[in-house]
Amino acid sequence: MSMPDVIAPSPNITLQARGVSKAFVSGRLRSPVLQDLSLEVHAGELTLISGPSGCGKSTLLSILSGLQSPDTGSVHALGMALSGLNRRQTEHFRLQHTGFVFQGFNLFPALNALEQVELPLGYLGLDRTETRRRAAASLEEVGLGPRMHLRPAELSGGEKQRVAIARALAKEPELLFADEPTSALDAANGQTIIGILHTIARTHGATVLCVSHDPRLVAHADRVLAMEDGRILSDRRRDATHVASPEISS
Amino acid sequence: MVALARKTLIHEWRRFLPAILAVGFAGLLQLLQAALVLGIFGSASVYITKSSADIWAGYPGTQSVSLGQPINRDVAMHLRMDPAVSRVEPFDWVDGNWRGTQGTGGVPVFICGIDPNPDGLMFSQALSPELRARLKEPGAVIVDQADLSSLGVKLGGTGVINGQRVHVVGISHGLRALGGVNVMTSLDTARMLDGDPEDTDRMTFYVAKLRDPAMAASVAERLRGASTFGPYTVWTADDFARRSQMYWILDTGAGAGVLFLAGIVFLVGAVITSQTLMAAVIGSIREYATLNALGVGVGSLRKVVMEQAFWVGAIGLLGSIVLGVLLLLLARSHDVPVTLDPITAVVCLLLGMGLAIVSGLAAMRSLRRADPASLLR
Ligand SMILES: Nc1ncnc2c1ncn2[C@@H]1O[C@H](COP(=O)(O)OP(=O)(O)OP(=O)(O)O)[C@@H](O)[C@H]1O
Ligand SMILES: [Mg+2]
Repeated sequence: MSMPDVIAPSPNITLQARGVSKAFVSGRLRSPVLQDLSLEVHAGELTLISGPSGCGKSTLLSILSGLQSPDTGSVHALGMALSGLNRRQTEHFRLQHTGFVFQGFNLFPALNALEQVELPLGYLGLDRTETRRRAAASLEEVGLGPRMHLRPAELSGGEKQRVAIARALAKEPELLFADEPTSALDAANGQTIIGILHTIARTHGATVLCVSHDPRLVAHADRVLAMEDGRILSDRRRDATHVASPEISS
Repeated sequence: MVALARKTLIHEWRRFLPAILAVGFAGLLQLLQAALVLGIFGSASVYITKSSADIWAGYPGTQSVSLGQPINRDVAMHLRMDPAVSRVEPFDWVDGNWRGTQGTGGVPVFICGIDPNPDGLMFSQALSPELRARLKEPGAVIVDQADLSSLGVKLGGTGVINGQRVHVVGISHGLRALGGVNVMTSLDTARMLDGDPEDTDRMTFYVAKLRDPAMAASVAERLRGASTFGPYTVWTADDFARRSQMYWILDTGAGAGVLFLAGIVFLVGAVITSQTLMAAVIGSIREYATLNALGVGVGSLRKVVMEQAFWVGAIGLLGSIVLGVLLLLLARSHDVPVTLDPITAVVCLLLGMGLAIVSGLAAMRSLRRADPASLLR
């Protein structure tokens, strides 16, 4: 794969958005969702994007993960310009480098937890034993070792979301995206999930970007970006020593 | 690789059941209608298939046994002189009209004049030597079990054919005719019942047995050549049987009917199957979209859908085979004419699998809705 637009900023910046705008057009009405937004996300930490409903958090996440393309601006992931990739290359990039956790768990009812996790690994070209090893390890990591032979119907909501995390994690992705991973769960389960995501960032050195409007998760994030109306209003680190000025270009 | 298609099919079998049933019934209907058509129109060639002749000589261009025209009696000599031929025998076909004694109206009958000797070729597979020997008596006839009621006669009863009295000396099985009733007689009785004086030195068919039946095609070819006996030609028994059946299938419009019905069954089956498979795809669309988000290509997802379609087809057709065999056996035991050869059966089953595959292709299109961006809201 060619990398025409390689940038080499500080070593642990894995995601970079420059001047990203996005608007949705319905009929004659053009509603801007993201407005000239720039952002850098670092590896090894859990970055939380929070903000009121409809402010464009999910849209930003899908652009940063390459599921949608911006109207203007560019996104670099792991040093690669996402806009330069065609559909197949994008799929290949996602297969190799990214994991996703969604609000809905989106598990196949017919498969048990182990098979859910093994399924995408099969497409990575891993052999049977390696697939099995990685899937089992991921399930152990999210605390589901003893329940790996149960189907979704036999798992609680929190357990299902942990299976979904294990499914994303087993690919050993550098980038892990989560959209409202806790909003279908109660407080205790939500704490567990965000705790797992945080641990993944720390122990695997992965870039974990999580979107949520749940204020209780803020305490677990290394960095919190507050969004409103398609812009980033504040950028705070947990140690609170470093408060960056919002990256809004005028 | 996790067998997603199969595991989903087993786990959500209720969801796939309509598709399996649609394929199964489509396959069954194709099998049954093919068996019925072949069975019914097989009657057009019972004269050939129930006899042990290897080649048939008759008037050129004859489309069916029932349409035989007289040929010169010298053809028999010509056949007999060929070293490959071991036995030659006449087969006289006379159209007649039956009137029963119990006031049954006229019934068109096909008088089949055959050699009543024990080693006779005609109907050797349907009439025992003992039965055919009874035909030696003048005016003796054998009729088929299935035709007794339409003739209004019983074993030992009498009737009138072309104004001449005949009596029933035996009952045969499996010699039903198409468009009339077969009446088996000796060659002499047939001559007696034939009203046309012109036919005395002519015969409808000559049939022959070969020393080596495998040579039928080349012997028939060789015997066709002579031109000194007036118009005649020679077919192998298989050729003439097929020719007779095809004539009836096409002439009655049954062929077009079969194709029409096959098309309708295919269409209805494909609509139900594709709708069911589509619903199954849509039902799992978020899971498919998640796989796509994780980098599993659209091509791989399509393969899952096609695999599901294949299994739906395979299970459905397994059902058709089992039910089909049971129903055909039931039909046989009730004298319903059904026959099915392996090639026709395979064609019917392939049609069923084609239906499943076409439906899978249609359902595959629904995967377009598996847009991972739609999972982010
Ligand atoms: N595909 C789309 N077509 C049209 N409008 C869209 C589309 N996707 C998002 N929008 C609009 O863009 C705006 C931002 O949507 P987005 O999903 O990013 O919000 P959000 O911050 O994730 O909200 P929430 O917290 O409720 O999930 C909304 O007003 C939404 O209506
Ligand atoms: Mg959202």
